Amino acid sequence: MIQIECPFCGKRDQSEFSYGREGQITFPALNADENSWYDAVFLRKNTYGRQIETWQHTHGCRSWLLVERDTVTHKIFSVKLAHTDWQKQIKKTT
Amino acid sequence: MNPLRKKNQFRADNVEENVIFFFWNNKKYFANKGDSIAAGLLANNQHVIGRSFKYHRPRGIMSAGVEEAGALVTIGNGAYTEANVRATTTELTQGLSVYSQNAWPSVKFDIGSILNVLGRFFAAGFYYKMFMGIPPFEWGRGTKIWMFFEHFIRKAAGLGQSSRLPDPDCYEHMHTHTDVLVIGTGPAGLQAAISAAKEGKDVLIVEQDYAIGGSYLSQPDTVELETQIEVLKQLQVTILTRTTAFGLYDDKTVGLVQVMPAKEYKTSSKKPRQQFNICRAEKIILATGAIERSYAFINNDLPGIMSVSSARTYLNRYNLLLSKNIVISTNNDSAYETAIELENAGATITILDAREQIGNKLLQQIAGLRINLYLGSGVVKAEKGLNTSSIGKIKLVEFANNKWRYAGNLYCDCLLISAGWSPVIHLASHQGYPINWNEENACFLSSGDNKSIFLIGSARGIWTKAGCIQSAKEIFQYNSRKKHKPSTVIGGWETPLAPIYEICLHNIKGKAFVDPQHDVTSSDIRLAYQEGFISVEHMKRYTTLGMATDQGKMGNIIGLALMAEALNCSISEVGVTRFRPPYTSISLGALAGRNRQSHFKPIRRTPFNNFSIQNRGVMINAGLWHRPWYYPMESESLEAAYIREATVTRRSLGICDVSSLGKIIIQGPDSTEFINRVYTNPFAKLPVGKARYGIMLRDDGLVFDDGTTWRLSENCYLMTTTTDNASSVMARLEELLQVRWPDLSVQVTSVTDQWGGCALAGPNSRNLLTKIIDDPSEISNESLPFMGIKQVLMQNVPCYVARISFSGELGYEIYIPSDYAQSMMEFIWENGQKFECCLYGLEALGTMRIEKGHLTNAEIDGRVTIQDIGLSKMASSNKDYIGKVLKNREKLTDSDRPQLVGIFPKDKNKTFKAGALLNEAGYSNGHPLGWVTSVTFSPALGHWIALGFITGGLAYVKDKNIVLSDELRSNFLDVEIVSPQMYDPEGLRLHG
Ligand SMILES: [Zn+2]
Repeated sequence: MIQIECPFCGKRDQSEFSYGREGQITFPALNADENSWYDAVFLRKNTYGRQIETWQHTHGCRSWLLVERDTVTHKIFSVKLAHTDWQKQIKKTT
Repeated sequence: MNPLRKKNQFRADNVEENVIFFFWNNKKYFANKGDSIAAGLLANNQHVIGRSFKYHRPRGIMSAGVEEAGALVTIGNGAYTEANVRATTTELTQGLSVYSQNAWPSVKFDIGSILNVLGRFFAAGFYYKMFMGIPPFEWGRGTKIWMFFEHFIRKAAGLGQSSRLPDPDCYEHMHTHTDVLVIGTGPAGLQAAISAAKEGKDVLIVEQDYAIGGSYLSQPDTVELETQIEVLKQLQVTILTRTTAFGLYDDKTVGLVQVMPAKEYKTSSKKPRQQFNICRAEKIILATGAIERSYAFINNDLPGIMSVSSARTYLNRYNLLLSKNIVISTNNDSAYETAIELENAGATITILDAREQIGNKLLQQIAGLRINLYLGSGVVKAEKGLNTSSIGKIKLVEFANNKWRYAGNLYCDCLLISAGWSPVIHLASHQGYPINWNEENACFLSSGDNKSIFLIGSARGIWTKAGCIQSAKEIFQYNSRKKHKPSTVIGGWETPLAPIYEICLHNIKGKAFVDPQHDVTSSDIRLAYQEGFISVEHMKRYTTLGMATDQGKMGNIIGLALMAEALNCSISEVGVTRFRPPYTSISLGALAGRNRQSHFKPIRRTPFNNFSIQNRGVMINAGLWHRPWYYPMESESLEAAYIREATVTRRSLGICDVSSLGKIIIQGPDSTEFINRVYTNPFAKLPVGKARYGIMLRDDGLVFDDGTTWRLSENCYLMTTTTDNASSVMARLEELLQVRWPDLSVQVTSVTDQWGGCALAGPNSRNLLTKIIDDPSEISNESLPFMGIKQVLMQNVPCYVARISFSGELGYEIYIPSDYAQSMMEFIWENGQKFECCLYGLEALGTMRIEKGHLTNAEIDGRVTIQDIGLSKMASSNKDYIGKVLKNREKLTDSDRPQLVGIFPKDKNKTFKAGALLNEAGYSNGHPLGWVTSVTFSPALGHWIALGFITGGLAYVKDKNIVLSDELRSNFLDVEIVSPQMYDPEGLRLHG
């Protein structure tokens, strides 16, 4: 069972988190063309190895996180807040 | 064989207080304290313990440990029954009831053993071939032969039966964190724990047995063991016995299950029977030992045939000499130590060593003892003795000119086998650490990662005690963060072993077992090869090798070796299947812990819960929520109650608990923009004090959720969601704000639990509201128009009132702070008595919404578009919102997609159920035209009605005869497809 180091709450069991989706997806503008939306919604890299993914600390601070994880070994390399400004502020205070 | 209890100066004597009684198949026997069930049975000369899985062959005790494949028993009675317990690892306690398994009518005479005679048909792939009608079962093809046999086969195959009664015990979960976890208490494990503790580490050491010591327990004296335990205690190391490390998981997590001693959990019901312990450690040391292997020869499953090391355990740990006359068949040095000890205890020994020569040291050790040594020999067949189901005679072979040849018979009632050792690398395999075949020692080895997961002792393939202890010391002799490079030598025998996996001669026939627990024979493996199932994964599934409760601890390697031989390749090329947790079976109760029955998932009660119960509300589970279903008067049925409730509401007034709807406060300067992007319909111009019904799509353009959103002030909204989607909408909004649109300055907060929601519906709802609101002028038709919202005072408590309606009647929802909910509801209900008034539950709520064609999750099931549910007008073309682009995909805009409709039976007396299919009359094959989602009796219309979806919608089926068919209930009727707004389609009643 993996543990994820939430920037706010510290190292917590995986059971407190929910997996979101692959984190490298960039969603197009709401009025973008159908193809770019199709790519963002349906095309997945399904990486064998290291990938960024989103998780939510559902049973904790409810932050959405960007987790860099190896899908083979489950090793976690980094955890950041998905909200870019919040992540910056956290860096300043620590 | 007739085992003898010996006296042992190091062990408790056979004095009176050490004698306990137990029951074996309801007959009383005596044993010694500390005996395993197997030891107790052997001491009482009980050798046939059960019948085998498929062929019902008599089976006895084959080992003294967790690898046991023969002696599976059922213990306990009634609700305490535990099936498939290994007799070899379970402690006998005073008065314990033990039963044999898989035998009818008795272990001695078993009807199922007729299967043994029909064995040809029961070879690997039997079920599959018979079912498919493949040779030799081609005659059964197309017949119902399988159905005929299935009943019989299902009864015959299988192991013990567990109790059908609820488990009376309780189980607990706990979490442990430690610096070092040592698994196994043999010489290596104890030394590792001592070394770690001396370094100042926090150490936990676990042992699956009920006694500490591992292989120390099988040695003649316990002096060294006692010294080591004393050191451990002084170092304050935590020792857990009866604790199995059943799995190694990510992030250095080990699953432990500790089983409490029988008498302890029975004296106090509050004490857990088992404890499931999730242990996280910085270092995990696997001192899990090795398991002695057998080899395949004919009838190698006869009672009286055991592993060599188990005879040593029975002798030294349980003071039981198995027989006065013992034959040992071995291919390695390890058997000699046992042979000498057995001889010292009074037995005459014959050693058949497969090797053609052995070392001088061994020869010197056995010189002068009653040990006859035959080199280059083995066993090709075992035979039953006269008047017994156990072994009585063996056929010998000798090695000559590079092959085995028959060399005569030998009488013996106890045959011990050692064909090498398999290190217990299961836990390392769970985490996928590399496993390599070691040719010289004929075993698979793993070394963990040598950083935080280590294997030591015989688990690493070290066969000498000194080597095992050295391998443990080594781990703590370095202080760097570098990888540990073990220096202790693998192996350690004077003469290397001579690998044997099977001995067979073409002219001697019979069954040679590879996996005795699942009755997999060596010819099954060859059959798998012949039929092309040559990959290990295929072979495993085709033959079921290693899939029984012992997970092939003894048999797997023999199977691999036989496949390698058939393929003419090496075992390392055949490979090995990855081991999966659990190492030994663990009870489901332990995994569930306290999370059972009502503790399985939390119950959410609305703030009106007590009020509903006081008013005879019958509750129903809706997701996690406990919601009022209906409020029966006297002995009213559900049907009578909901019809009355809906009727009274439409005629006068009804009050309903709607607290479970999700409520989310959305605040911040960008909240209008945010809501506008989330909903399909425009929210930008929603005035303060008004609510609007909105539809939310997913990214892929399908409908996600619906609900009303109220503008409380310029930058503050209250969004309501469906009960089912409350948490997923919340998580979705958070994702959008944090991941996708961090530039929007918006805060969302769930306030579902902070507010009790109460719906007032019916023509008298405003009249009631007038009586309960402190300033009635605030809720007049003018000051609170349809879809208006307002903060009002009720009994001086600030509440929200919204003029919205799910029932289609003039209606309001009052949101009351949860702490006031109970008293306010009593106040509202008291005032309601001035009118004809009722409480209505979920059933009547459903009835009224179906009559109006309003939607719930029965319709919005994740597969429908906004057009499908008839709300395409709500999809704005003047703004951008989530799902807008992909909702226009080609197949989602087809005009022949199923669309929401209402359904009436043509014969108004007919009833039907949700899930029924809709078709054009005369067409009953292929895909149906549509289906029924929600059904109710409509009090307003006086007959049964439904909502459903039908291809092309109302327009397409206008002139067609539609038939509703419910094949499962044999209900077929003609229906009329109508508009989903079945009652008051103009919405006149809404405005009172
Ligand atoms: Zn957190």
